[in-house]
Amino acid sequence: MYMVAFNGEFSQASSRAIQHHVRKCNGFTLMVMKTGIIAAFDDALVPVVQSHPDVKLVGGVTLNPQGYAADRLQRIFAENLSKQLEIKGE
Amino acid sequence: MPNVGAELASVPFGKMIYDMASAIARSQVALDKASIELVKVLANTTFDYVPDVVETLMPNPRQIKGANGSPVMDNNGNPVTVTGVLVQTDVGDSFPLTLLQAGVNPTFYAFTNSTIEVKMSITSTQESSNTFSAGVSVTASADFLFASGSVSSHVNFSSANKFSYSVTGSSSMSTTLAPVPPPKNMMPRFFLVNAIDPTKVTVSQS
Repeated sequence: MYMVAFNGEFSQASSRAIQHHVRKCNGFTLMVMKTGIIAAFDDALVPVVQSHPDVKLVGGVTLNPQGYAADRLQRIFAENLSKQLEIKGE
Repeated sequence: MPNVGAELASVPFGKMIYDMASAIARSQVALDKASIELVKVLANTTFDYVPDVVETLMPNPRQIKGANGSPVMDNNGNPVTVTGVLVQTDVGDSFPLTLLQAGVNPTFYAFTNSTIEVKMSITSTQESSNTFSAGVSVTASADFLFASGSVSSHVNFSSANKFSYSVTGSSSMSTTLAPVPPPKNMMPRFFLVNAIDPTKVTVSQS
């Protein structure tokens, strides 16, 4: 699971472009925020994702179960992932 | 003769270890810097967190209406009512929460195990061959007044020495990079102050 931080100010266009880029790398977007997205993709593809011009940095993250909203985040991740898996199956 | 000890001593172990250690140290610094950058991003990423949504089921009795829109009456002339349910939703006030507070932690990496392996093969062969041959020939002749004789001898000696010496070596370096929990000094502490009872302060750290 990786945090993909945006380069510069947030824009819908760059956010979508990065999400498409992650999708092309067979990755999944788990959550979208104004500073970046949390995505799941193969470890070997970190340099490829990092190479996108709108990406500032890519760093591994983990979910701390003791976090204030960890269970909520886990549900959000699972929901977003399930939607993308349905699309992939078509 | 080849000196195996000298050959082994010529392997620059010290330099190899130093080069590897300094490369690991530089990589570790770069990895830590990237993780600290990530901590900053996570600490500056906020989202509105709704702590709770209260749904209250309220009674909502209503009269059953007939086909023409008039209330349906029972045998006693009273309108027929059903117990309906009204769900009253009360969404709690949202407040900003950082990803770090929410439970997204950066991954730190550490080099856990490093190995330097040097293999050397020293082969030394020496062959020497000597050949020796000697011959003596004696001739003698005699007649009425004279007699003569001759003795000749020859010695052949050849010597050959072959000497070969080869040293082959190979080295390999390997290191293991493993994710580790965030160092405590790099993670912020969270102070939870209970405004109802300000003496209750909870300090936590990811």
